[in-house]
Amino acid sequence: MAEPVLTIEDLRVEFSTEDGIVKAVDGVSYEVYPGETLGVVGESGSGKSVTVMSILDLIPRPPGKIVSGRAMFKGQDLLTASKDDMRRIRGKEIAMVFQDPMTSLNPVFKVGDQLEEAIKIHDPAVSDDDARKKSIELLQLVGVPNAERRVDQYPHEYSGGMRQRAMIAMAIANEPAVLIADEPTTALDVTIQAQIIEVLKTAQEETHAATILITHDLGLIAEMADRVVVMYAGQVVEVADVETIFRAPRMPYTMGLMNSLPRLEADEERLIPITGQPPSLINVPPGCPFHPRCYLRNGRQICVEENPPLEQVDQPEHLSACHFKQEMKGDTSKFADDEVAS
Amino acid sequence: MSQVQVNSAIHDRAAKGETILEVDDLVKYFPIRAGLLRKTVGQVHAVDGVSLNLKAGETLGIVGESGCGKTTLGRTIIRLTDPTAGAIRFKGVDITGYSRGQMREIRREMQIVFQDPYASLNPRMTVREIVAEPLRVHGLYKERGGKKRISELLETVGLAPEHGNRFPHEFSGGQRQRIGVARALALNPQVLILDEPVSALDVSIQAQVVNLLEDIQEEFGLAYIFIAHDLSVIRHISDRVAVMYLGKVVEIGTRRGVYETPSMPYTQALLSAAPIPDPVRQGRRERIVLKGDVPSPADPPSGCRFRTRCWKAEDICAKEEPELIVRASDHPDRCHFSAIEEKVIVS
Repeated sequence: MAEPVLTIEDLRVEFSTEDGIVKAVDGVSYEVYPGETLGVVGESGSGKSVTVMSILDLIPRPPGKIVSGRAMFKGQDLLTASKDDMRRIRGKEIAMVFQDPMTSLNPVFKVGDQLEEAIKIHDPAVSDDDARKKSIELLQLVGVPNAERRVDQYPHEYSGGMRQRAMIAMAIANEPAVLIADEPTTALDVTIQAQIIEVLKTAQEETHAATILITHDLGLIAEMADRVVVMYAGQVVEVADVETIFRAPRMPYTMGLMNSLPRLEADEERLIPITGQPPSLINVPPGCPFHPRCYLRNGRQICVEENPPLEQVDQPEHLSACHFKQEMKGDTSKFADDEVAS
Repeated sequence: MSQVQVNSAIHDRAAKGETILEVDDLVKYFPIRAGLLRKTVGQVHAVDGVSLNLKAGETLGIVGESGCGKTTLGRTIIRLTDPTAGAIRFKGVDITGYSRGQMREIRREMQIVFQDPYASLNPRMTVREIVAEPLRVHGLYKERGGKKRISELLETVGLAPEHGNRFPHEFSGGQRQRIGVARALALNPQVLILDEPVSALDVSIQAQVVNLLEDIQEEFGLAYIFIAHDLSVIRHISDRVAVMYLGKVVEIGTRRGVYETPSMPYTQALLSAAPIPDPVRQGRRERIVLKGDVPSPADPPSGCRFRTRCWKAEDICAKEEPELIVRASDHPDRCHFSAIEEKVIVS
């Protein structure tokens, strides 16, 4: 494989709250390669968003605190970069698309003005005319109809799906090397989601950006991701290519997640949930954070005593954080149960 | 207490398969007011002529996108909001014009569970008080045995009796939804209206709550109206499914009929657009991507309401509203050009 464009190493982020220290990100490492879509999945509180917000200096500090780690981007550690450097990188080299477009579009400026500003702030040499022309082109690219007219409208005149398109246009305006999409379709209806997925794919083809797709929606991951990082309680617990993650995961949490999903394409008798509740990040269980809910543990002591490291299993690109990952050899999720004719 | 005259037969347990609830041509419009005098300048056609029936012990799934009227439908059926027109019959008794006092009797038999487990529980009440409240309101809380009844309810939904002394904020989303279900079960109703009961929950917890709902349905012989936007959850839990678009039911049938042989283009688009969490199957199907957004329910299109986004639309679709009748498939749809499309989900 080529060199990764962004490498996160052993990132630890804490928040101090009234109830105690929240270990939101607890030793996360992953990297993303040029042109690929890396899916990051996990449930609420798993640390998937905080990880990327931290490396872009977007968490409030305090109460947030980056305890340790590195985030290498083009030979530079983002965590030690100056405010000026970060301003140059954010929005230009690393761009973000958020769940709620209204939080990143300014309601008092026209969509076109905001796009033009995004272009000119990183490249002051661009003329007003060119910036406007490029804004219209970008809106056309993301499928905003009548872009010449809609460029002069305000965000409230756009529907939810259109706002999300405008935000994607803004994110790709400067052809970023890394595009981070945080729950980009979560607030949208199914038919609008389908449109935005197409737009994200187009945007990626146009810019060749490495994409980090953060979501709890496993359907979106199945559709968009090449590789997948699974997070639990602020830690990475499994990394593999998308098919392996869905069909033959080697971490009991991932297996549980897959098997608890209801299916669209078959009638099923009963769902198989993961037992118990997600852990509190103030009081993470000792050892493996998943051990109180794990079906594979069977009372074994090591799961309570030692947090399993993320290690290779089966193939070199497949990593799992489970003491007993070898016992899962040959196990498949329900998605691999029935024969899929090709 | 009870000067209110209500046919006491409504409290008899319906036999499995017996029709327990009928909704006839139900309409709910919300006025749009503007100007200094708050004059009505238009109407939002939230629910526009919906007819359904529900049998004892079955689950009717209602699925659709935001603004299709599914939540308003649920709230109108249980009379949290008054219908503009149409009729609601519970066990054959027309309850459409029932007073608040009369509805109180009906609500012993028909309860609602809301989506947001954070907003629907009073933060100042203990869990025990929350679950006991419906019993107290109906004068059914017995000082002797009341406590035991609440403990039983908590155990039914998978909580420990000692959880009863805590406050809602001490619980996670999934546990709060269990508390909401326990409260709805307190009066031993026959019908539950579940409005997006698992949408706010994480996947691993969602499966727990879905299983719980199935278990208590079996145990108490409940009938469910299960409202959700998640097509996979609806398929899993429903016996029959109604698809809504802009205030109308556009297709209704058994879950197998609707999911495997959908005959209305909107249903086909919806099913083809829903992401399948399986990269192999996902890669092997073609998605129907609809153009544009859902039109405003304040000004719905003439004729067929889906025609502005439909790839099959012709002149007749703007002129004539298609009726909800059986055409190409084994179940009713609202489409002049009804045709079975089997390939929308890859199985």
